[in-house]
Amino acid sequence: MAGQNQSYYEFYRGSSIGTALTDSLDELITQGDIPPQLAMRVLQQFDKSLTDALQKGVKTKTNVKGHLSTYRLCDDVWTFVVKNPNFKMEGMGAGSEMITAPKIKIVACKSGDAAADTKKGGGKAAAAAQNDY
Amino acid sequence: MSGLALPTNKAASKRPAPQNNAVASSSKPSGAGANPSSGGMDEDDEELMEKRPVKAVVGVPEITAVQGLVPTLQNIVATVNLECRLDLKTIALHARNAEYNPKRFAAVVMRIRDPKTTALIFASGKMVVTGAKSEDDSRLASRKYARIIQKLGFDAKFAEFKIQNIVGSCDVKFPIRLEGLAFSHGAFSSYEPELFPGLIYRMMKPKVVLLIFVSGKIVLTGAKVREEIYMAFNQIYSVLVEFRKEA
Repeated sequence: MAGQNQSYYEFYRGSSIGTALTDSLDELITQGDIPPQLAMRVLQQFDKSLTDALQKGVKTKTNVKGHLSTYRLCDDVWTFVVKNPNFKMEGMGAGSEMITAPKIKIVACKSGDAAADTKKGGGKAAAAAQNDY
Repeated sequence: MSGLALPTNKAASKRPAPQNNAVASSSKPSGAGANPSSGGMDEDDEELMEKRPVKAVVGVPEITAVQGLVPTLQNIVATVNLECRLDLKTIALHARNAEYNPKRFAAVVMRIRDPKTTALIFASGKMVVTGAKSEDDSRLASRKYARIIQKLGFDAKFAEFKIQNIVGSCDVKFPIRLEGLAFSHGAFSSYEPELFPGLIYRMMKPKVVLLIFVSGKIVLTGAKVREEIYMAFNQIYSVLVEFRKEA
């Protein structure tokens, strides 16, 4: 992935941390503190940083169990809608933590080196995402 | 194999193969009304039901050689022509439970839950539907897929529906001497235990291929109609009895 600027997915911008950043940048632009080009640059860096952070920084393993409502594979993107998912996080404090939601969507894309798929809509972000349906 | 418990007249009530006529003689109540899978059939079937008791007097064999031992249908493969060019990407993007990976396979793979089947949908408009357990289910599933395609805005028809293959299985519940069978039916048999543990029996009439295992489990495939499965089983059963392994 090294040296390729365009190879990062932008979908983490839709996560709660991404929307918070976008909102802040918007505010700064409207106040005239930063030019829009800089905001774009920041968002590009955000795409890269978050991808890297998830790839390198996250060691927690998560098991998702639930009823697969629908699935799709198109353009190398898998989409799963899982009903009543149960997230079991390993290695988080004492014992394991359980997170549930009525419905989530998992979007899995090919990563640059095709080693691991990236997921969106997992964990707590999913709880926010479930309202999309 | 719960299907084994089905009354032997299930098939006979639907399709008028001559060798099935005796079905009505024994256990059969009057007609197939009780049989859900024949519910959708039309008038000529009614007619058949009227006729059957008359014919049944003749001592034609049961639908299978053994009472209550009927092959269960496991898979039916059918093809349909939707007679319309399809944009597979549109389908993959908008339909649920669809997979489209043109690098690996030039068709959309779509599944529905009821009847539990899988369809391969090609850009030419041709479609292969697999996994159904009965002819009616196969047709119903194919119609459902065609409807899904229609709803996505294509001018899909429902033409040339044809069942291409029927697979059945059965358990004769006694072990079989495959070597002996392979030896005396050499023309039809291929038994290479180092390659495959079952004996491959290519029956000529009906043209059905049977996989026969030591355990007494049988797989029948290659039939176009369910009667061929029953006929083939009927014929092989009498042979298998000869090669019963005394354990």
